[in-house]
Amino acid sequence: MTEQLARPRSLVGARVRRREDRRLLTGAGTFVDDLSLPGMLHAAVLRSPLPHARIAGADASRAEAPLVLTPADVARSTREVRCIWVLPGQRQTTYPVVADVARYVGEPLGLVVAETRAAAEDAAELVELDLDPLPALADPDQALAEGAPLLHADWGTNVVVEMEIGDPADAVEDVIAGAAHVVERRLRIQRVTHCPIEPRGAVAHWEAATGTLTLWSSTQSPHHLREMLAEVLTLPAESIRVIARDVGGGFGQKEHLYPEEVLVSLATMRLGAPVKWIEDRSESLLSAVQGRDHLHDARLALDADGRFLALHSRIVSNVGARPSNVGAGPALVSSGMLPGPYAFEAVGTTFRAVLTNRPPTGAYRGFGMQQAAWVRERLVDEAARELGVDPVELRLRNMLRPEQLPYLTRTSQQYDSGDYPRALERTAELMRAAPPRPDDGRRRGVGFASYVEFTGLGPTAANQAVGFHLSGYDTAVVRVETDGTLTIATGTSAQGQGHETTFAQLAADRLGVPLERVRVLAGDTATTPFGSAGAIASRSMTVAGGAIVRASERLRDKVLRVAANLLEASAADLVLADGEVRVRGAEWRSVPLADVASRAWLGWDLADGDSPGLEERDVHDPAGISYSYATHAAAVAVDPETGEVEVERYAVVHDCGTAVNPTVVEGQIEGGVAQGLGIALLEESAFDADGMPLCATLMDYLLPTSDTVPDIEVAHQESPSPFVPGGMKGVGEGGTIGAPAAIGNAVAAALPEIAEHITETPLSPARIWALLRETR
Amino acid sequence: MKVRLRLNGVDREGDAEPRTLLSDFVRHELGATGTHVGCEHGVCGACTVLLDGEAVRSCLMLAAQAAGAEVTTVESLSREGALHPLQEAFAEQHALQCGFCTPGILMAVVGEHRAGRSLDEVVADVLPGHLCRCTGYGRIRAAVRAAWPELEARA
Amino acid sequence: MKPVAFAYRAPETLEETLALLEQHGDEATVLAGGQSLVPLLNLRIARPRVVVDVNRVAGLGGFEAGGGALRLGALVRTAAVERDPGVAAGWPGLREAIRHSGHPQIRNRSTVGGSVAHADPASELPAVLVALEATVTLRSTAGARELAAADFFVGPFTTARRPDELVTEVRVGARPGASAFREVARRHGDFALVGVYAGVDLDDGSVGAARIALCGASPVPLRAVDAEHALAGRPLDERAIDDAAEAAAAAVDPWDDLNGPAEYRRDLARVLTRRTLSALAV
Repeated sequence: MTEQLARPRSLVGARVRRREDRRLLTGAGTFVDDLSLPGMLHAAVLRSPLPHARIAGADASRAEAPLVLTPADVARSTREVRCIWVLPGQRQTTYPVVADVARYVGEPLGLVVAETRAAAEDAAELVELDLDPLPALADPDQALAEGAPLLHADWGTNVVVEMEIGDPADAVEDVIAGAAHVVERRLRIQRVTHCPIEPRGAVAHWEAATGTLTLWSSTQSPHHLREMLAEVLTLPAESIRVIARDVGGGFGQKEHLYPEEVLVSLATMRLGAPVKWIEDRSESLLSAVQGRDHLHDARLALDADGRFLALHSRIVSNVGARPSNVGAGPALVSSGMLPGPYAFEAVGTTFRAVLTNRPPTGAYRGFGMQQAAWVRERLVDEAARELGVDPVELRLRNMLRPEQLPYLTRTSQQYDSGDYPRALERTAELMRAAPPRPDDGRRRGVGFASYVEFTGLGPTAANQAVGFHLSGYDTAVVRVETDGTLTIATGTSAQGQGHETTFAQLAADRLGVPLERVRVLAGDTATTPFGSAGAIASRSMTVAGGAIVRASERLRDKVLRVAANLLEASAADLVLADGEVRVRGAEWRSVPLADVASRAWLGWDLADGDSPGLEERDVHDPAGISYSYATHAAAVAVDPETGEVEVERYAVVHDCGTAVNPTVVEGQIEGGVAQGLGIALLEESAFDADGMPLCATLMDYLLPTSDTVPDIEVAHQESPSPFVPGGMKGVGEGGTIGAPAAIGNAVAAALPEIAEHITETPLSPARIWALLRETR
Repeated sequence: MKVRLRLNGVDREGDAEPRTLLSDFVRHELGATGTHVGCEHGVCGACTVLLDGEAVRSCLMLAAQAAGAEVTTVESLSREGALHPLQEAFAEQHALQCGFCTPGILMAVVGEHRAGRSLDEVVADVLPGHLCRCTGYGRIRAAVRAAWPELEARA
Repeated sequence: MKPVAFAYRAPETLEETLALLEQHGDEATVLAGGQSLVPLLNLRIARPRVVVDVNRVAGLGGFEAGGGALRLGALVRTAAVERDPGVAAGWPGLREAIRHSGHPQIRNRSTVGGSVAHADPASELPAVLVALEATVTLRSTAGARELAAADFFVGPFTTARRPDELVTEVRVGARPGASAFREVARRHGDFALVGVYAGVDLDDGSVGAARIALCGASPVPLRAVDAEHALAGRPLDERAIDDAAEAAAAAVDPWDDLNGPAEYRRDLARVLTRRTLSALAV
């Protein structure tokens, strides 16, 4: 059941077909591995086979290859990579491209270049890495233990940063001490990995004659890559061009500069020839940035009437071998978003970000908010069960009402707009309309999860305040070409989100141009305005989209000023629609947009003070954060003998402000839910007690498949963002945030006898079987 | 060594090592890059092509094995600019986002339809053989269901 | 990742094939459907010097299903077994097992001989063959030998096949009156955590002969002889089925892995044996 958003005669809100689909459906897309340049060579990356080892040296004498970059070669030629998000007191803020100590299995240590990928792998096998094994830290328990080996001896600890967020611990303890009821659980969110179906990849080409480095990359953030690559290679930024054409999914994994991109750039600069590296699936599973891996010791305190008083969590975030570019950011966001859509007297967290010998964790769809939702919403359901209150009723009793917004949470989030209870009530209604299910011996339950989502990663001032070295604004250039067609250039880029359609909808709507006459330029630093963040943090529509709206509206005003001169009318009396400008009430007086454009580009008929041309550039730096929200509900059937969980139904009622293309919005939510379902039931990037990875193929790392994901019902609410021209809020991550908690709560509802132990994902059949067996 | 095969109705020849995978041969030697490679261990299904009409994983075959065979890839589906009904349904139902897994799914459905599988079998048994990380699958199922009558009419 | 370099041979006769295997011994790998081998090549876990592709060998594709017997040439694709009306009518449990084995896109290539020779303990087909007392024909330049399936499977990914031998055929002489297959896997088409095949002949409501085998729960496909004995001569009722299920659970030799502890698999053996037999009781 999908609610149609009616916005007649407007392209915004229209379910238009995606304009990128034709090339993708016919095999005519251009993904980075589709590039083939004359003389191109192929690279294989040397990687650490050990979780922790000192690199004593490397002998490449047996490897017959045009180029081998050893760890020492790389170290000599590169500067360290800066962490982008640096929290107060963070003990490590940069990391080398290739270190002198390997700290996880799969860590890149060098590069071998040959005529083919296979030959490069052959040669890589002949490079002898001289590694002195060091004791490995497999998990935070080991890393935090008394006398644990230290990854950085000079720190005296394996904690890279720790913080206290929200109300001070004493204040929270005071509230908890006075509570009638306290629910306390240790909740764990496992380590997962993004698994875009297109792995990472890059083609680098150095043209010595012009001093130009072109890097085609499967990245979410071309401008950021260019900025960082220039720093690391000590090259002028103007000499580097980064291009991301079609990108096969990212989900946060492809949002920063990777060592491999530096390595292929170094290689092409040594060789002159273009060099390609395409990540294989095992490399993707072992060496790309991963997500989650949080442990929460959390408490929810309620009064005798079931009113929430306090929420507190002590968080351990396993950030892996080194802080990624965003370091402990997910733990900070988990903390900030812990209160969700409810009112509390006190909320606080303390978190410790701990180094271990696992790959770094970084941005993954939901960025800490999925963890917060798991912790909070499980505690809410546990409280409801213990108090004998309906979980929906308990939520409604504590949820912020629309008239309380804007609302400042105890963790300093200024919620903007929305109707949280209505989303919950509507979801509950959807779930009540349940089709009859056969009595097949399975146990059934319905679970809910409500959350509020920080979207957009702006304002810029907020980024600065939290040490995030990333632009909180984005820039758009919108141009009416001489023939009346429209070009939009944006600083963000897409990995499947449909920007070529939705960005075009925003501009076409405001400039009266049919969609097929609009082209969106994105993903190429040479043709698009700077935007250092890229497509992350549910920000493309809220920040870049806002910039497109602003530029389009300014451009429309200029079109009308030129047309006013041509039509000898007042601009205020003109209507721009259907590719022409008409005089309101005298529609026979009109001029085609193409004529306006050709005159404007000649510099004729301009208004006083206008310069020639029909192009506007504008920046959107939102004045506040836009908060999306939703309630998710899952209905599950659990086989009590095998522990298998089937999600039979799934419903979402959400609000992302203006839904520019509701079909695309639904696609974002559905895909996000599927990833959340994977976290809930299937996925885990597992390691053994020695820090050796156990999931190197998709036979071991289990992604959701069509048989495991039900059809997802989505219904919309629309509370426009007060901070974004056009009213859009972000929607890229929400699906993933809510799903694990909704499914976990449904499993707990189906199996009340083990509900208190539903604290850890994935809820694999064996885990549920074991919990049930303990109760027998 | 030289490998000759028929790709999308055209006789083609290219160089291959014995170890060259059919996926790499089609993509990099013959230039048909619409077939994608997502895992090279037969799980993700992105590389699915038709080999003599049957849906197979091209990453699990050597190019040499396909010598003399007819290989059909996603590039063959649309004719004179008109999308195949399955492609049309995928666009209409928003059954793709990044589009990386899509060619493999299209070829598997086309192949297994030709092989006489029922719609229910294709949904229950064929689609689970493809990983999509973007859509959540519901729209893929909807697109296959929507296109099925036209596939039947064409057969 | 790409395979290591190897020589590729695609013989067209059995004689040629056997000569190559004799010549290269354990430096050669036989490539049939490739659905298990090529992933291992791509991961560089399998590192053969010579790949002997048997797909062009004449005479390995024989397929007869009738008269209470089944003869499957090594190159018969599992999709062909799945589609065969004779198999569907006579060996429904075998067909169900194959339908749990990967997806059609895999079964279009995977072969009977390859599934048998690969000997994955979680693979469905070997368990069915063990239950049905199938024989596996092995040929070398020295001649042919036939082994009972139960003797052919020696350990995980290990068989009685010598490097110079080729699996050429599988023969099934038994056809239970009724048969079924059930399994638990993490997702549809994944290797079984545990799978159970059961075939029974019912005489006047009591079990004349029973054939029960499990995959995924032991290092080799396991025939649950005690479970079969537990049923013999008894009506296929709840008590008999429970006894057989307990016997099957006692017989398996499972292991701990990412998917759960050994005891979980043992319990699945019990549950699935019960469910498979119950499906035959109705």
